[in-house]
Amino acid sequence: MAPVSRPVRGHFLGVDLGSTTAKAVVVDEDGVIVASSTIAMGAVSRAGMRAAVDAALASAGVAADELGGTVSTGYGRRLVPGAQKSFTEITCHARGTAAMVPGVRLVVDVGGQDSKAITVDDDGLVVDFAMNDRCASGTGRFYEVLARAVEVPIEELGTLALSGSDDLEVSSMCATFAETEIVSMLAMDHHVADIASSVHRAIAARTLALVAQVGRRSPVVLTGGVAQNPAAVHFLSRALRTEVLVPPRPQITGAYGAALLALEATRRGRPPVDDVAGADDLFPRTGGHDAPGHSCAGCDGTLVELGSTIPVRG
Amino acid sequence: MTATATEDLTNRLTITRQGGQMISDYWDELFVARESGKKIVWYNGGALNPIFQAAGLAWCHGEAFAARLAAQRLEGPAQLAGAEYGYNAELCSYSRTHLGCAVLTLGGDDEVPGTGVVGLHDQADLASRLPSPDLFVNNYAGCSTGQQWDEVSYRVFGKNVPIFNVSHPFLWGNKPDAGYLVGQEWEDASRYVRDQLVELIAFLEHQTGQPFDHDLLAESMTHIKRAAELRCEGLELCRATPAPATFWDWIACVAPINFLPGDQALVDYFQGVRDEIQGRVDAGVGGIRDERYRLYFDGIMNWNKLGFLSRRFAEHGAAVLAGRYIQNAFWQEPDLIDTSDPLLGMAQHYLLCPTNHGSKTIDYLTRRDCERYDVDGLVFHSTRTCRAFTGPQRLLAKSARDKLGIPSIFFEGDVADASFYKEEILDSRLVAMLEAIDIARERGDHKRPGAGAEVAWPQ
Repeated sequence: MAPVSRPVRGHFLGVDLGSTTAKAVVVDEDGVIVASSTIAMGAVSRAGMRAAVDAALASAGVAADELGGTVSTGYGRRLVPGAQKSFTEITCHARGTAAMVPGVRLVVDVGGQDSKAITVDDDGLVVDFAMNDRCASGTGRFYEVLARAVEVPIEELGTLALSGSDDLEVSSMCATFAETEIVSMLAMDHHVADIASSVHRAIAARTLALVAQVGRRSPVVLTGGVAQNPAAVHFLSRALRTEVLVPPRPQITGAYGAALLALEATRRGRPPVDDVAGADDLFPRTGGHDAPGHSCAGCDGTLVELGSTIPVRG
Repeated sequence: MTATATEDLTNRLTITRQGGQMISDYWDELFVARESGKKIVWYNGGALNPIFQAAGLAWCHGEAFAARLAAQRLEGPAQLAGAEYGYNAELCSYSRTHLGCAVLTLGGDDEVPGTGVVGLHDQADLASRLPSPDLFVNNYAGCSTGQQWDEVSYRVFGKNVPIFNVSHPFLWGNKPDAGYLVGQEWEDASRYVRDQLVELIAFLEHQTGQPFDHDLLAESMTHIKRAAELRCEGLELCRATPAPATFWDWIACVAPINFLPGDQALVDYFQGVRDEIQGRVDAGVGGIRDERYRLYFDGIMNWNKLGFLSRRFAEHGAAVLAGRYIQNAFWQEPDLIDTSDPLLGMAQHYLLCPTNHGSKTIDYLTRRDCERYDVDGLVFHSTRTCRAFTGPQRLLAKSARDKLGIPSIFFEGDVADASFYKEEILDSRLVAMLEAIDIARERGDHKRPGAGAEVAWPQ
């Protein structure tokens, strides 16, 4: 029997506390994004998460106690005060991406510390998934290593890579040893653009191996911060031999999926229940970044992105 | 009720404590076996202990001792000694640990010559307590490292200790008449290994200077066969819902069935295991609180993490109740044993090592057990230093997904080296799979039509 869908009113919050960024999305009762925010952190940080939530709620003009439900996801999902339920980023990225790009069959999400290949069905539900093992190969951290080694701002890395030739051999996919390999290529006087291009090609090949575990499907959507890198999109598209789509805000798909899951639980008449055990006790709300108990060593509180209405529906 | 992070939701079998004491007593006796006038054999691979028992030897199973050290978190000094001697960290951590024990045993109470990193006497004492071997026997099937392991120990001891190697053909299972326990390949391999056991007995008679006691072998194997039958009955009872015992309980029963002497005490122990499980079935009591998911575990045990993993899965309501290492290892086909002439049945069990089958057979056995135990998902322990076990795992996952509609996850760890285990990787993947199962249940399409049917041998 199909689940009963009940009319609901109000707003719903999704929070994705990742390894390097905190994202928050507010949706209305129709699943439309009314506000979103992305905060850069040095590491999983309660302060970064609070900043993201506060920014999104302020942008939406919604008070925390007016929310109809909150769902958290990401590495720090258990640390989100006020979240009634948490889901893994696998489930949330699939759900959010399918809402942003209806008909998607393969989601490749490249986050700060992991990369995932997720196959989804008509409803945006997970069919199968695979994640990187053992190391940072093919993750956002790997691109940061590359950017640092070639002394180029991370935002310019993709453009640089697209201007080079990709025929240098990059054998190591360990982030640490890759840096050594890049330095040795620099010592051999290879062009920086060629090095960047070749490393992007090698990372795409690594991602292809991940996709092989779940099976190649299309349409393909790339999400996560790396999706903002045009060279990453180009080389992945070439490796998969198909067009790779990028949603308008590829970093917030997980938070968006979390918000939709909060909404859908309420629609089914089962508001998300509190299973984020003890989070409020462990991390009581304090007055802000400067308040006693602030534990953020790496969060610079930088608001990377503040978005508003995106015309998509859950 | 929502569980707190520290609450233990497992309901482990109480009798396994008794088994733990039996194992502890066994090792304590082995440590002083030489003082008791016994010769000592070091061996690896299939359970040759009934033959050693009938030859009047004391026996040390290298993997078992490595697993014991890891379960007690005492493996570090032995692994350091192995590293100092020159063994690479990518080498099978069972063998690395045991070879380190060999190095420590050779060194006696003195610190190992070299850089001196091994001097942690409080723990090294245990690793070095193994009595030196008087002979080596290798009985490893399906793993090239295992087959060379005792040859390396032989060299560590200066090639001065006699060694006997039993060779096992790999069971490809691809001949037209091949099947599980049937076909020309199976029969030829069985006889080939059985004939080597006859030669092994002659070797042992030569080494001990004593006639081999065939009556004692028959008696020992009679007890082992009965213990194995009781174990199989207990495993069968675990098909119930809720599962009355879990994979982790059976892991605690591996050591007794794998190397304890074949005697009445062994039978009594497995009678107790079976009876406790039967009692739970009768009372509707589960091996974990509030079973919500039934999972299959493929991989050798991560011995450093036995208690931790049992609690972690239970926290999620996941009863791990079957696995290749349990259902398809350790005298798992007792009907093969003719107690009046046990060598053929013993040889066949050595061939049935879960790493000694072609993927066709492993796939058949895995799907068979997934159906028999009505599992919702598979968890693959991608054992970093055991490629023999992990080799076919991707094929198994794909087959379970395509043929049974059962999802899988992989996590990396190791048999005796905790450094390869990453908790967050297991936890995030496990929860993601359970979420997907929940959603599929809500939609009513969790189980494909015909689920639970007997799995036929693939033609």
